[in-house]
Amino acid sequence: MSALPDIALPTNRDENWRYANLRPLAKAKSDAIAAHDPATPVDLPAILPDYERWVFIDGHYSRELSTDTDASCARLIGVREAGDTLLTMLDLDLAQAGVDFSLARVNGARGDVVLHIAPPDRAQARIEIIFIASAAAAAGTSYPRVQVHGGRSSHLRLVERHLSAGATDPLVNAAVDIALRADGIVDHCRVQNCADGAGCFDTLTAHVGERATYRLRTVTLGGIASRSTIFVKLAGRAARCEFSAAVIANGSQGHDVFAGIDHVAPGTSTRETFRGIATDRGKLAFNGKMIVRETAHGADSDQSLKSLLTGSGAEAAARPQLEIYTDKVSAKHGATTGKLDEQMLFYLLSRGLDRLQAQALLQWAFIEETVSQVELAPLRLEIEQLIATRLNEISRLEGLVTNS
Amino acid sequence: MSALLEISNLSAKVGGKNVLNGLSLTIGAGEVHAIMGPNGSGKSTLSYVLAGRPGYEITGGSVRYRGADLLSLPTEERARAGLFLGFQYPVEIPGVNNVYLLKAALNAKRKASGQQEVDAYEFLQLVRAKMKLMQIDESFLKRGVNEGFSGGEKKRNEILQMLVLEPALAVLDETDSGLDIDALKVVAKGVNSLRSSERGVLLITHYQRLLDHVVPDFVHVLARGRIAKTGGKELALELERRGYDWVLEVA
Repeated sequence: MSALPDIALPTNRDENWRYANLRPLAKAKSDAIAAHDPATPVDLPAILPDYERWVFIDGHYSRELSTDTDASCARLIGVREAGDTLLTMLDLDLAQAGVDFSLARVNGARGDVVLHIAPPDRAQARIEIIFIASAAAAAGTSYPRVQVHGGRSSHLRLVERHLSAGATDPLVNAAVDIALRADGIVDHCRVQNCADGAGCFDTLTAHVGERATYRLRTVTLGGIASRSTIFVKLAGRAARCEFSAAVIANGSQGHDVFAGIDHVAPGTSTRETFRGIATDRGKLAFNGKMIVRETAHGADSDQSLKSLLTGSGAEAAARPQLEIYTDKVSAKHGATTGKLDEQMLFYLLSRGLDRLQAQALLQWAFIEETVSQVELAPLRLEIEQLIATRLNEISRLEGLVTNS
Repeated sequence: MSALLEISNLSAKVGGKNVLNGLSLTIGAGEVHAIMGPNGSGKSTLSYVLAGRPGYEITGGSVRYRGADLLSLPTEERARAGLFLGFQYPVEIPGVNNVYLLKAALNAKRKASGQQEVDAYEFLQLVRAKMKLMQIDESFLKRGVNEGFSGGEKKRNEILQMLVLEPALAVLDETDSGLDIDALKVVAKGVNSLRSSERGVLLITHYQRLLDHVVPDFVHVLARGRIAKTGGKELALELERRGYDWVLEVA
């Protein structure tokens, strides 16, 4: 990473960081947490069938909690090697774009190891990574690091989870970099369900090659403050990105997403869906920036950003942004912010459902569109349960699962 | 035995406008009543007031349901007490599937009457039987509530919900509108299957043709927010022939 400059922490004065709650970042100790055993036992989710599992505690690999990964296309490498790899596998300006925003690289030389995942040409791989934050922010920061280098026509199914155990206010600063060669596919599902006091920051870059597809499904539930900074570059002809984000901000949680998707090559396409629910004094922000370059003839982008507010102090700012430099393009976008539909609520009440149940059901219905895009059934079920819990109505929503 | 529903001198406002003006109507157990009337006479308002829709202000009168004050109950408690409103325009709720709503509604009602939640197997048997009667394909169960349903499918779905919930009093607001003759017969069959000596039905309709298939005991004409005329089933035929003007003139 030495090739990349060191930069200062972002501030709310920067337009692209206006809605992020940066207090946990400022308060935390920025040193990486030393390797240690977690103080409290870690409660891991059930193993996903056919997936290998890599577990990291405060950024450090845990062999005991991981499955046997001898035959894996993933391996651990040092941060320096990873920095070099990053520069070779990504074009420099994407890495540089990341730097302008990146928290990940503020302390780039810190952290321990990087999980480097490289499915060879035509290979299939299923990998689940679990990052557990167990130490308090006062003790340091956890730096999860992942690199993906997908071979030609390879297909990687990647599940990335962020959980916490023990500390109620950990600080996580994750970095994921993805590069996909021609005809490759990455199905990336990220679930962030850290403790309610956690600070969760991440930077994600993806470079998508010719006819390759990057699918990103994110579910953001935990943390007092979270910020995802995402850059996707559709660099090869007919490269495609599908991104759906489900976000729930309860109490005084604040979640912020910046997603910049850059259409460089002809025939590139994007489908972006954001569904956010803010209750109580929860705050949501989603800044979806679509860039279509002069070279991207026939590009096709579609953004649908919707927020639902159910508390008097809840706020949402969902902003589609388009920067288009060619005429031969189709760019659709829509952003709405609203409350629960009174007619739907009355209909459910008129069938005898109680008010809390009816409200939870309508919130569920609102966010379901994004969750249904998670293809892996056991994971989707788990996410449905997590969301039901967040809506505080788990028993009331029991049995409400999508039938695929 | 007291009446199932006793509406006395009911007045109500919507958006600052008086829509019901001293309406009185009594429905006894086992009776089917039809309310007809021109557009704007207050038919849908009556159904919404009975179900407790927000935005409808009661300015006078009372409604007693099985002897209790109906208007003091929130919408959901009215439903659990056995009042069912079949909507003129059933709302679409993508993301909530039909079978979930049916089960939640049935369980809400059972819980209110001290019964256990319905057994999953029994529930499916029940729903299947009712769906067959309403000629609804089973694939509808897993679709979002009314999502992408045609007008006729939505109305049949309303009747399906009614059959599963077995209400003591069903208020059906223009359930016949937008139906072709075959669908009308299916809907009528559903309504007739619910008729019993304990139940009451209030059919709100524009046209006489539903009443050929669900024969009412009483027909009322609603005009300017009150009952202008009451008769037997032959009144509906007369209205069909002569229109509403002659009733309005008398009123």
